[in-house]
Amino acid sequence: MMRRAHAVNILGAALLALLFGCSAFSQAPSVPSKHPEELPPGRVDCLECHQDVSTGALKPYAAVRHSRVFIDSHGTYARQGQNLCASCHAPAFCQTCHAGKEELKPNTKMGDRPDRMAPHRGDYLVTHRIDGRIDPGSCFRCHGNKNDVKCRQCHK
Amino acid sequence: MTTVAPGERLLPAIVVLSLFLPLALPDTVPAADLSVSSKTFLRYYERDLPAGSRNTYAPLYEYLSADAANLGGMPLAFHFYGWGRVDLSDPSGSGRESGDLGSAFLEYLHPRGNAQMKLGRFFLTEGAAVETLDGAFFKATTPLGIGISGYGGVPVEHSILDNTERGDSLYGGRIFFARAGFVELGASYLTEKGPFQGKDRELYGGDLWLRVAGPVELTGQATYNRSAREMASQRYAVRILPGARFDISGGYETYTYKGLFQAALHPAFVFPSVDTDDKVRSIFGVVDWEFVPGLTLEVAGKNIRHDKTDPGDASRGEAGLRYSYNEKKDVAGIAAAAVSADRDENEYREFRGFATYSPSKLRLTLDAIAQQYKKAINGKKNAYQVVASAGYQLLSALHLSGDLTYTQSPDFQEDYAGLVRATLELETGTGGKK
Repeated sequence: MMRRAHAVNILGAALLALLFGCSAFSQAPSVPSKHPEELPPGRVDCLECHQDVSTGALKPYAAVRHSRVFIDSHGTYARQGQNLCASCHAPAFCQTCHAGKEELKPNTKMGDRPDRMAPHRGDYLVTHRIDGRIDPGSCFRCHGNKNDVKCRQCHK
Repeated sequence: MTTVAPGERLLPAIVVLSLFLPLALPDTVPAADLSVSSKTFLRYYERDLPAGSRNTYAPLYEYLSADAANLGGMPLAFHFYGWGRVDLSDPSGSGRESGDLGSAFLEYLHPRGNAQMKLGRFFLTEGAAVETLDGAFFKATTPLGIGISGYGGVPVEHSILDNTERGDSLYGGRIFFARAGFVELGASYLTEKGPFQGKDRELYGGDLWLRVAGPVELTGQATYNRSAREMASQRYAVRILPGARFDISGGYETYTYKGLFQAALHPAFVFPSVDTDDKVRSIFGVVDWEFVPGLTLEVAGKNIRHDKTDPGDASRGEAGLRYSYNEKKDVAGIAAAAVSADRDENEYREFRGFATYSPSKLRLTLDAIAQQYKKAINGKKNAYQVVASAGYQLLSALHLSGDLTYTQSPDFQEDYAGLVRATLELETGTGGKK
């Protein structure tokens, strides 16, 4: 056990030395903290202006075009960094859905935005019983240990 | 009696620290780039109670967010987001008042290499972590493309169960290698001290983004739960983007109830609500094709297989069309979805249509959704909801709107609900965020 702890410490020290011995930070420009120009209404298409690779996310802008494919898998990209997201979206944007404690469904807050991909449209109280049975993993991320105030009426 | 989450005990100190640090910096106010957003909602609805009486609800919600960037002329920002509710009629939740602080944190973003630090309460997605944390986070990348991130603090968690303990502390990190436009490969670790099925939560994660060739990219993420000695979840996908108007992806994902739900504080995810020996394997595909400028076809399908016959297997297929017009200010769409399943109680069909119309300062929207269940729920097989909304841009920073919602479903014979919304957006500086 002690030998394993030593190995982990040595590996950590070696990694830190490698990182900060290599003149610390990459010299690639960071993603600006705020998009330098006003963003148009509706679903923004980054490719209208950007054709290259984002220096911040280090991925082509095409990969983050807000198509249905990207929206369905945006968590995969966010897990590798939030900087590019944060350039156009304030933290409040993410937390409209990824809330810690919430009482209003996203589509109630955005009743005037039917174009948005807000989850739980309609009387989802009924349909969630089905979706929750067949794919509970899709519910867990947002409701497993947070955002469950309204669940108390039935789940005891 | 409800226990207080450890994060809530730290909250006042974090808020005070976050608020006062920017003020300690010289010349903060003149240089700051400020944006404040206030969204006020007044809902109105009624509910018949089993005793024959009727309750009237009128909860008033305020959602406030503020972002101050370029503090003191430095790449330092402060972000705040929170909400509160006051009931103007019968109590709509647990008590007449409620609220939450979603985030309040200082952020330092280095001009080079995306090196950054966060301090306070923030929502974090980093490798195996998808958490809200009262704590600190740092991330840096070297010129070689090797990077490291780390975080630690108190997790912000909630449980509807009384006297349920949340996690005490959470920390972890990620090492990664990234080469612009080609690959990002990461390995992560997370541990949370807490009473989760009698153990702490300890996760090992891996993530991959790889541009194989031209328009083809592969993504993968996998998490192993060491505490449960199970793979928690895996997701692998191939995505092809042959042009700016076509996007197709397909893949495989799987998760085990034991591995993924180990840290659940919600009774719906633990025994006896679910069989914790169950495992899910899914294949999925999604297509997004703008075949005519402004007109987009969206098709998605997912086949979900369970180890257990209850709940059994299911498949969901959906197709829709979206049309954007009026210089992309407006969108109309139709969509249909069907879920077929081994068990009748899991089958349903869904149809939706919506449209928006924004002439000048006026905005009108209509959204209708219908569901048909194969097996009756509370004696009904159909559910309908229509939301009509009208809004007006009163001032450049102030938008007022109102929604009327009509619902008929297995839960509601007939339900009308109203909502009035006031949105105030104030901003200094240039540029935009959403």
